[in-house]
Amino acid sequence: MEKILLMGNPNVGKSVFFNRLTGANVIESNYPGTTVDYTKGYMKGDSEDFEIIDVPGTFSLEPKDKAEEVAVKMLEEKKGALIICVIDASKIERGLYLVLEIIERGYPVVVALNMWDVAEDKNIQIDIEKLKSILNIPVVPTIAISGKGFKEVVLSLKKAASVGVNEITERVGEIK
Amino acid sequence: MEKKLSEMNYEEEGRVKSIEQDLKNKVAGMGIRVGKNLKMIIKHPLKGPMVVEVDGAHTSLALSIADRIIVEVKKWKKYY
Repeated sequence: MEKILLMGNPNVGKSVFFNRLTGANVIESNYPGTTVDYTKGYMKGDSEDFEIIDVPGTFSLEPKDKAEEVAVKMLEEKKGALIICVIDASKIERGLYLVLEIIERGYPVVVALNMWDVAEDKNIQIDIEKLKSILNIPVVPTIAISGKGFKEVVLSLKKAASVGVNEITERVGEIK
Repeated sequence: MEKKLSEMNYEEEGRVKSIEQDLKNKVAGMGIRVGKNLKMIIKHPLKGPMVVEVDGAHTSLALSIADRIIVEVKKWKKYY
Protein backbone atom coordinates (compact mmCIF):
# COMPACT_ATOMS: atom_id res chain seq x y z
CA MET A 1 0.00 0.00 0.00
CA GLU A 2 1.25 3.44 -0.87
CA LYS A 3 2.14 5.58 2.14
CA ILE A 4 1.33 9.24 2.48
CA LEU A 5 2.84 11.51 5.11
CA LEU A 6 1.04 14.68 6.11
CA MET A 7 3.72 17.20 6.96
CA GLY A 8 3.77 20.91 7.65
CA ASN A 9 4.47 23.67 10.15
CA PRO A 10 2.75 23.47 13.52
CA ASN A 11 -0.84 24.71 13.62
CA VAL A 12 -1.64 24.67 9.90
CA GLY A 13 -4.41 22.08 10.07
CA LYS A 14 -2.72 18.78 9.37
CA SER A 15 -4.95 16.90 11.80
CA VAL A 16 -8.10 18.40 10.32
CA PHE A 17 -6.74 17.30 6.97
CA PHE A 18 -6.11 13.83 8.33
CA ASN A 19 -9.62 13.51 9.73
CA ARG A 20 -11.13 14.62 6.44
CA LEU A 21 -9.09 12.20 4.38
CA THR A 22 -9.49 9.16 6.59
CA GLY A 23 -12.75 9.77 8.41
CA ALA A 24 -10.89 9.30 11.69
CA ASN A 25 -11.41 11.46 14.71
CA VAL A 26 -8.09 12.61 16.12
CA ILE A 27 -7.99 15.57 18.45
CA GLU A 28 -7.81 18.92 16.75
CA SER A 29 -7.25 22.14 18.59
CA ASN A 30 -6.41 25.65 17.76
CA TYR A 31 -2.90 25.81 19.12
CA PRO A 32 0.45 24.50 17.95
CA GLY A 33 1.82 21.23 19.20
CA THR A 34 -1.42 19.24 19.44
CA THR A 35 0.11 16.30 17.61
CA VAL A 36 3.33 15.18 19.31
CA ASP A 37 3.12 11.56 18.28
CA TYR A 38 1.91 10.23 14.98
CA THR A 39 -1.47 8.82 13.98
CA LYS A 40 -2.10 6.36 11.20
CA GLY A 41 -5.22 5.98 9.05
CA TYR A 42 -6.39 4.63 5.75
CA MET A 43 -7.98 6.22 2.73
CA LYS A 44 -9.60 4.74 -0.36
CA GLY A 45 -8.40 6.34 -3.56
CA ASP A 46 -10.16 5.78 -6.89
CA SER A 47 -7.79 3.00 -7.92
CA GLU A 48 -5.78 2.15 -4.82
CA ASP A 49 -5.78 2.48 -1.07
CA PHE A 50 -3.40 4.68 0.85
CA GLU A 51 -2.00 4.60 4.34
CA ILE A 52 -1.95 8.12 5.72
CA ILE A 53 0.24 9.24 8.59
CA ASP A 54 -0.36 12.46 10.48
CA VAL A 55 3.10 13.75 11.40
CA PRO A 56 3.75 16.30 14.18
CA GLY A 57 4.30 19.87 12.96
CA THR A 58 7.83 20.96 12.23
CA PHE A 59 9.42 24.17 11.00
CA SER A 60 12.39 22.47 9.42
CA LEU A 61 14.05 19.12 9.07
CA GLU A 62 16.65 20.01 11.67
CA PRO A 63 14.80 19.00 14.81
CA LYS A 64 14.73 21.36 17.79
CA ASP A 65 12.34 19.47 20.07
CA LYS A 66 10.74 16.07 20.66
CA ALA A 67 7.83 16.57 18.29
CA GLU A 68 10.13 17.69 15.49
CA GLU A 69 12.42 14.74 16.15
CA VAL A 70 9.47 12.41 15.65
CA ALA A 71 8.60 14.21 12.42
CA VAL A 72 12.07 13.92 10.95
CA LYS A 73 12.47 10.31 12.04
CA MET A 74 9.16 9.40 10.41
CA LEU A 75 10.22 11.01 7.16
CA GLU A 76 13.53 9.14 7.17
CA GLU A 77 11.90 5.81 7.98
CA LYS A 78 9.36 6.09 5.21
CA LYS A 79 11.61 6.27 2.21
CA GLY A 80 9.54 6.31 -0.94
CA ALA A 81 6.48 7.74 0.77
CA LEU A 82 4.45 10.46 -0.83
CA ILE A 83 4.31 13.73 1.08
CA ILE A 84 1.34 16.05 1.32
CA CYS A 85 2.88 19.22 2.63
CA VAL A 86 0.18 21.27 4.30
CA ILE A 87 1.11 24.92 4.52
CA ASP A 88 -0.68 27.94 5.91
CA ALA A 89 -1.44 30.17 2.90
CA SER A 90 -1.27 33.23 5.13
CA LYS A 91 2.24 32.29 6.31
CA ILE A 92 3.48 30.96 3.02
CA GLU A 93 7.19 31.71 3.34
CA ARG A 94 7.93 29.45 6.27
CA GLY A 95 5.76 26.78 4.72
CA LEU A 96 7.68 26.85 1.47
CA TYR A 97 10.92 26.61 3.41
CA LEU A 98 9.82 23.20 4.69
CA VAL A 99 8.49 22.21 1.25
CA LEU A 100 11.90 22.89 -0.27
CA GLU A 101 13.65 20.95 2.46
CA ILE A 102 11.45 17.94 1.78
CA ILE A 103 11.92 18.25 -1.98
CA GLU A 104 15.67 18.45 -1.40
CA ARG A 105 15.57 15.04 0.24
CA GLY A 106 14.05 13.58 -2.91
CA TYR A 107 10.48 12.90 -1.81
CA PRO A 108 7.53 13.37 -4.18
CA VAL A 109 5.45 16.26 -2.81
CA VAL A 110 1.97 17.70 -3.20
CA VAL A 111 1.51 21.15 -1.66
CA ALA A 112 -1.80 21.97 0.00
CA LEU A 113 -2.17 25.71 0.52
CA ASN A 114 -4.46 25.42 3.50
CA MET A 115 -6.37 28.20 5.26
CA TRP A 116 -6.98 29.74 1.86
CA ASP A 117 -9.95 31.65 3.31
CA VAL A 118 -7.78 33.16 6.06
CA ALA A 119 -5.26 34.34 3.46
CA GLU A 120 -8.08 35.90 1.43
CA ASP A 121 -9.34 37.70 4.52
CA LYS A 122 -5.86 39.08 5.06
CA ASN A 123 -5.76 40.19 1.41
CA ILE A 124 -2.87 37.90 0.58
CA GLN A 125 -2.78 37.02 -3.10
CA ILE A 126 -0.93 33.93 -4.23
CA ASP A 127 -0.25 33.13 -7.87
CA ILE A 128 -0.83 29.37 -7.79
CA GLU A 129 -0.06 28.81 -11.46
CA LYS A 130 3.31 30.49 -11.11
CA LEU A 131 4.10 28.54 -7.96
CA LYS A 132 3.19 25.33 -9.76
CA SER A 133 5.40 26.13 -12.70
CA ILE A 134 8.34 27.05 -10.46
CA LEU A 135 8.10 24.01 -8.22
CA ASN A 136 6.82 21.67 -10.92
CA ILE A 137 4.65 19.83 -8.38
CA PRO A 138 0.89 20.03 -7.72
CA VAL A 139 -0.20 23.02 -5.61
CA VAL A 140 -3.80 23.02 -4.41
CA PRO A 141 -5.61 25.70 -2.40
CA THR A 142 -7.62 24.11 0.40
CA ILE A 143 -9.84 24.97 3.34
CA ALA A 144 -9.57 21.96 5.63
CA ILE A 145 -12.42 22.88 7.97
CA SER A 146 -14.92 23.18 5.12
CA GLY A 147 -13.42 20.52 2.86
CA LYS A 148 -12.68 22.75 -0.10
CA GLY A 149 -9.96 21.47 -2.42
CA PHE A 150 -9.75 17.94 -1.04
CA LYS A 151 -10.88 16.28 -4.20
CA GLU A 152 -8.14 18.03 -6.15
CA VAL A 153 -5.54 17.04 -3.55
CA VAL A 154 -6.48 13.38 -3.85
CA LEU A 155 -6.58 13.57 -7.63
CA SER A 156 -3.21 15.29 -7.80
CA LEU A 157 -1.50 12.57 -5.75
CA LYS A 158 -0.79 10.79 -9.02
CA LYS A 159 1.02 13.80 -10.36
CA ALA A 160 3.36 14.13 -7.40
CA ALA A 161 6.94 13.61 -8.46
CA SER A 162 10.32 14.29 -7.00
CA VAL A 163 12.03 17.26 -8.55
CA GLY A 164 15.56 18.60 -8.33
CA VAL A 165 16.16 21.64 -6.19
CA ASN A 166 18.62 22.92 -8.79
CA GLU A 167 15.89 23.02 -11.43
CA ILE A 168 13.74 25.06 -9.07
CA THR A 169 16.54 27.52 -8.39
CA GLU A 170 17.02 27.91 -12.14
CA ARG A 171 13.34 28.62 -12.70
CA VAL A 172 13.32 31.17 -9.90
CA GLY A 173 16.27 32.81 -11.60
CA GLU A 174 14.36 33.07 -14.88
CA ILE A 175 11.56 34.99 -13.24
CA LYS A 176 13.83 37.67 -11.91
CA MET B 1 19.99 52.19 15.84
CA GLU B 2 21.24 48.65 16.26
CA LYS B 3 20.18 46.43 19.12
CA LYS B 4 19.52 42.86 20.08
CA LEU B 5 16.12 41.50 19.15
CA SER B 6 15.62 40.77 22.84
CA GLU B 7 16.08 44.46 23.62
CA MET B 8 13.32 45.68 21.33
CA ASN B 9 10.37 47.41 22.97
CA TYR B 10 6.72 46.65 22.50
CA GLU B 11 5.50 47.56 19.02
CA GLU B 12 8.97 48.60 17.99
CA GLU B 13 9.83 47.68 14.41
CA GLY B 14 13.15 46.76 12.93
CA ARG B 15 14.99 44.95 10.19
CA VAL B 16 17.13 41.90 10.87
CA LYS B 17 20.77 42.88 10.43
CA SER B 18 22.63 39.76 11.48
CA ILE B 19 22.03 36.34 12.96
CA GLU B 20 24.70 34.19 14.58
CA GLN B 21 25.86 31.65 12.05
CA ASP B 22 24.83 28.47 13.85
CA LEU B 23 21.39 29.93 14.51
CA LYS B 24 20.62 30.89 10.92
CA ASN B 25 19.07 27.61 9.80
CA LYS B 26 17.21 27.22 13.03
CA VAL B 27 15.24 30.45 12.69
CA ALA B 28 14.96 30.40 8.88
CA GLY B 29 12.18 27.83 9.19
CA MET B 30 10.21 30.36 11.19
CA GLY B 31 10.61 32.99 8.50
CA ILE B 32 13.34 34.98 10.23
CA ARG B 33 16.38 35.80 8.12
CA VAL B 34 18.62 38.77 7.40
CA GLY B 35 16.68 41.62 5.76
CA LYS B 36 13.30 40.66 7.20
CA ASN B 37 11.14 43.25 8.94
CA LEU B 38 10.08 42.42 12.47
CA LYS B 39 7.73 43.90 15.00
CA MET B 40 7.80 43.14 18.70
CA ILE B 41 4.40 41.95 19.88
CA ILE B 42 4.78 40.41 23.33
CA LYS B 43 7.63 40.13 25.81
CA HIS B 44 6.91 37.72 28.59
CA PRO B 45 8.30 38.59 32.03
CA LEU B 46 10.82 36.62 34.08
CA LYS B 47 13.12 35.95 31.14
CA GLY B 48 10.26 34.39 29.26
CA PRO B 49 9.92 34.07 25.51
CA MET B 50 8.84 36.84 23.15
CA VAL B 51 6.49 36.98 20.21
CA VAL B 52 7.45 38.86 17.05
CA GLU B 53 5.58 39.53 13.86
CA VAL B 54 7.18 38.46 10.57
CA ASP B 55 5.28 38.80 7.27
CA GLY B 56 2.02 39.28 9.13
CA ALA B 57 2.50 36.07 11.10
CA HIS B 58 3.37 35.75 14.76
CA THR B 59 6.24 33.59 15.90
CA SER B 60 7.64 33.06 19.36
CA LEU B 61 11.30 32.99 20.27
CA ALA B 62 13.16 32.02 23.43
CA LEU B 63 15.12 34.82 25.06
CA SER B 64 18.35 32.90 24.47
CA ILE B 65 17.61 32.90 20.74
CA ALA B 66 16.48 36.52 20.59
CA ASP B 67 19.73 37.53 22.30
CA ARG B 68 21.68 36.31 19.31
CA ILE B 69 19.81 38.22 16.61
CA ILE B 70 20.76 41.83 15.85
CA VAL B 71 18.18 44.22 14.42
CA GLU B 72 18.35 47.72 13.01
CA VAL B 73 15.49 49.49 14.75
CA LYS B 74 13.41 51.68 12.46
CA LYS B 75 11.63 54.13 14.60
CA TRP B 76 11.77 54.90 18.23
CA LYS B 77 8.47 54.89 20.02
CA LYS B 78 7.71 56.54 23.29
CA TYR B 79 6.30 54.48 26.08
CA TYR B 80 4.32 55.87 28.88
